[in-house]
Amino acid sequence: MSKLTSSTWFKQSIRLLHHELRKGELTIVFLAIVLAVATVFSLTGFSDQVKQALTTNSVNTLAADRVLRTSTLIPEEIKAETERYGFDFAQKVQLKSMVFSSDNMLLTDLDIVTSEYPLRGDLLISKSSDLQNPIAVKSPAVGEVWVDQGVLGRMDTAIGEQVDIGVASFTIAGVIVNIPDRSFASVFSNPTIIMNIADLDKTELIQPGSRVFYKYLFAGDNDDLIEFGEWVKPKLNESQDWVDVKSSQSRIGRTLDTAEKFLSLASMLGIVLAAIAVAVASRRYGQRHKPTVAVFKALGATNKHIQKVYVLHWSLLSVISILTGLLVGYGLLQLGAMGIEKYLSLTSSSLTLRPFTIAVVTGLICAVAFAIHPISKLIATSPIAVIKGFEEKSSSKLNVYQTIPLLALFLLLYIFSNDLVMSASLLFGGIVVSIILLFVGKFLMGLGRTAGTKAGKSMHLAFANLKRRANENSVQLVSFTLAIQLLLLITVMKSSILSEWQQQMPEGTPNHYLINITNEEVPKIADFAAENDIQTQGFFQVFRGRLSAINGEATVKVDKKSDKADEEATEGRRGVGRELSLTWQEELSPLTEVVKGQWWDIGDETPQVSVEEDIAERLAIELGDQLTFTIGSDEFTVPVTSIRDVNWQSRQLNFYMIFNKSTFSEIDSTSISAWRVAEETKPLMFDFLSQYPSISIIDIDAIMKQLTNMIDQMSIAIELILVLVVLAGSLVLVAQVQASMEERERELAILRTLGAKGSLLRNSVLFEFVALGAIAGLMASIAMEIAVFFLQTQVFDMDFSLHFEFWLIGITAGAAFVGIIGMLSCWRLLNLSSVTLIRRTM
Amino acid sequence: MKVNSESILKVNGLTKSVQLEGKSLSLLQPVNLQVNAGETLAIVGSSGSGKTTLLSILAGLDVPTSGEVYIKNQPLHQFNEEQRSQVRAEHVGFIFQQFLLINSLTALENVMLPAELANIDNAKEKGMKLLDQVGLSGRLDHFPSQLSGGEQQRVAIARAFISQPDILFADEPTGNLDTKTGKYIADLLFDLNTRLGTTLVLVTHDPKLAARCNRQVRMDSGVLSEVIDETQTQTQQNVESTINSENEKKADNKDVELGEGQTCPN
Repeated sequence: MSKLTSSTWFKQSIRLLHHELRKGELTIVFLAIVLAVATVFSLTGFSDQVKQALTTNSVNTLAADRVLRTSTLIPEEIKAETERYGFDFAQKVQLKSMVFSSDNMLLTDLDIVTSEYPLRGDLLISKSSDLQNPIAVKSPAVGEVWVDQGVLGRMDTAIGEQVDIGVASFTIAGVIVNIPDRSFASVFSNPTIIMNIADLDKTELIQPGSRVFYKYLFAGDNDDLIEFGEWVKPKLNESQDWVDVKSSQSRIGRTLDTAEKFLSLASMLGIVLAAIAVAVASRRYGQRHKPTVAVFKALGATNKHIQKVYVLHWSLLSVISILTGLLVGYGLLQLGAMGIEKYLSLTSSSLTLRPFTIAVVTGLICAVAFAIHPISKLIATSPIAVIKGFEEKSSSKLNVYQTIPLLALFLLLYIFSNDLVMSASLLFGGIVVSIILLFVGKFLMGLGRTAGTKAGKSMHLAFANLKRRANENSVQLVSFTLAIQLLLLITVMKSSILSEWQQQMPEGTPNHYLINITNEEVPKIADFAAENDIQTQGFFQVFRGRLSAINGEATVKVDKKSDKADEEATEGRRGVGRELSLTWQEELSPLTEVVKGQWWDIGDETPQVSVEEDIAERLAIELGDQLTFTIGSDEFTVPVTSIRDVNWQSRQLNFYMIFNKSTFSEIDSTSISAWRVAEETKPLMFDFLSQYPSISIIDIDAIMKQLTNMIDQMSIAIELILVLVVLAGSLVLVAQVQASMEERERELAILRTLGAKGSLLRNSVLFEFVALGAIAGLMASIAMEIAVFFLQTQVFDMDFSLHFEFWLIGITAGAAFVGIIGMLSCWRLLNLSSVTLIRRTM
Repeated sequence: MKVNSESILKVNGLTKSVQLEGKSLSLLQPVNLQVNAGETLAIVGSSGSGKTTLLSILAGLDVPTSGEVYIKNQPLHQFNEEQRSQVRAEHVGFIFQQFLLINSLTALENVMLPAELANIDNAKEKGMKLLDQVGLSGRLDHFPSQLSGGEQQRVAIARAFISQPDILFADEPTGNLDTKTGKYIADLLFDLNTRLGTTLVLVTHDPKLAARCNRQVRMDSGVLSEVIDETQTQTQQNVESTINSENEKKADNKDVELGEGQTCPN
């Protein structure tokens, strides 16, 4: 009785691995693991970078955990309570002021901050005007200011030079690269200058009646902050606002957040596909090795021996695949990073440990969880198989969907997304869809069989094959369908997201806002615009006022946040119940539509108001309601005579409340206008407007540029993911076809022997795959539409739309995709001579 | 060829039945059989008669429903899978109709496999020598897919002999080969068997091949009976004497070598 030395199984295992790797027998499973690891590695790294990019571009940060916004100083009571909690505390005073250099002046937004600012996020400053080498800082030193790059350009000044603000002089000490709580959405913003709060008094800027905004910033324990928030909220009046990160998000911020969610969803789908590929490939791995194990056992190898051989074999294969996956993933990540770098001045491509860890864990989960079943079945192969044959029992057709792989898949998704709900719904949705597809697929293949009998010979053979392999095919069909569905889903979602973005910047979008135009100036400015072919929407007289009562009922308690309010004014979110921009108009704007009631006739002397649809709905305002407004010390009440639908995404000047002219006949105010100015007209415009120093011009081209860059950057990310998903999908297809290869070989041998022509066989195989692909494409289109419905309405907060054009694409692409890949996979087989074929299968 | 009275294989009252749609189907009626060391036994019978079932139980690949099977006095019927593997590794060799070489191993590695499993030293050298003796010294590093059917079966024969098994089971060893190659393979098998004094149990439906064994049993619907046929016995004895005379000198020499003048048809 001699025991096997440990070296025997080791040698045999290495030998098998060596030969099989060289002969390409492990290619599919190798590629599947490589792809899973590479996908996770590159996408985790990539989305980290995108997130970082989004954060540094500050679309959703407050520079604190909570902010109290107010237009007055806060009472001592609140200050005392803040100290009691021991929060970190900073303060920011915001006001507008003209700034002067030796030759120029410019209207700027002043951010006057305490030395603790910011509490969260990075305030980044560069010492050079080209924004290189930014450093994170707190407030500027006394006597110094930091300025936006725009200030340097437009005032023709430089770092180290002096500017006058109010009655004081300051040295420009740096250029602002990032302000963590800059309102990204506020297109009205002027260039910003940051100053130390200790300098505020000596500027003498704050005078009685000055428009000043205060931000009190808090950071600390979340529970304490919630408690404090509950305590402070009832004490706030309508001009004060307690804000957390979520409620501070602007519309664009949310859009980018949506994009990030989408990236993450697409990546998760990619991972699901890669995992399916691993599952299919490892199942085939198990089946292919059965004869080897049976022979080993017949020749006297014990279970323990086989176990050692195969555990080592699979482990080495996994390790090689995971390492290769990491390399490939790193390459992809670098590629993606190169793409981003063009658009973001601030991408630090430093690699963190997170993507690395997640990718390795993914690889291990794939390698262990998806292989444990096929390998344990493989090890249990009975030696009697050498006599009885290696036919796979059909009962095992749903192995892929058994518990361990499912749990593993869930774990994978969760690790990647860190989002329990999203992972669970993706997985369980997937299972339900798979089961439905299984039945629908069988039914459709059955129908195809009936149709096939009436068609030509190859078609007949193709459908007979489809029908006969219905069980295996329905599993394949589910994979094909999911792959095609995911591709469709990504394409559809990408196009809707991109078009939503595009809609935010349609043709003719204004690129300059003119504010503070006096009534006497309006005709001259309008003439200039007309002479120079500048598109304007007209001039709007703007009054700041509050809606103080509806039908005599005070609105103070109405504290509803308004999503659209950030397009309303410099200060962004100021819901109804606070000050609104009010205007009058005689004729309805072209992009606007009256949905209820009637627009007034020009010259109608009765004061009346037209209300925007959303806000009317929110405040339950109906036609005929009496609305009371307060402007300064004046109060007046008017009836609602129409309700308007406004396209808020147009970036035109829009108003919640529009009055007829006679309402405002007694009140004096300045006007604003939105202009689309062609690049070549700009110098002329600036030259002309320099005659009117009180008019402020806001150039929003720069902001638009930043938005476009964001979109480009997102597109690159989406395309990268699309490529990975297509690769994963193809791999699933190839793995599936490979799994049916032995059976196909036998069949072809029989058909050849019976005298079937090469062309007949080729066509029948082609039709079989094309039909399978077309059925999968059809089912994928339906599934895609359902998924899109849920995503658009539930996750992305968009309107639902049908996409029939994508059905055609789905079916055609499915047929072509599966047809081509299927044919390519079988090509070698179809071109073997009859003799070889018969000999191979005997 | 020496046949001594030492019993290599002993079977008492062996039966095999399977459950089919709730009914018990008997594949083997009680079988009694003894094969002594150095003996060559052919199990003949038509397709479906149960001869392959018997072979798989005799070789310890399958278990009987009742009865006893001993190989070298080891009670296979009482052994579990692992113990039976051990017995196969130490005492049993196989040749299959389908050759059953491992596709991802080279010819030499396939041959070395049983020796490695039985922990026999110098597996490589022995394997090379055996492959040389079956005329495949130039094909050591070829994979099965690169070999013809006859060549594959020659590799299988080399593999069967490398661990110098006490008993060799061959299931239709020429069944997948054309007549000419089949004859060559049979010559090779009997030649090696004679030189090494291996006990051979052969399942075949080819009377010519069966006739080359010293003893034949017939399987008919699960019933095993001894074949006593004067002419066949005569033929078999003639064949045996021819081989014996050719290899007389080396009969007791366990060092295997293929006789000169034997050429490979494939």
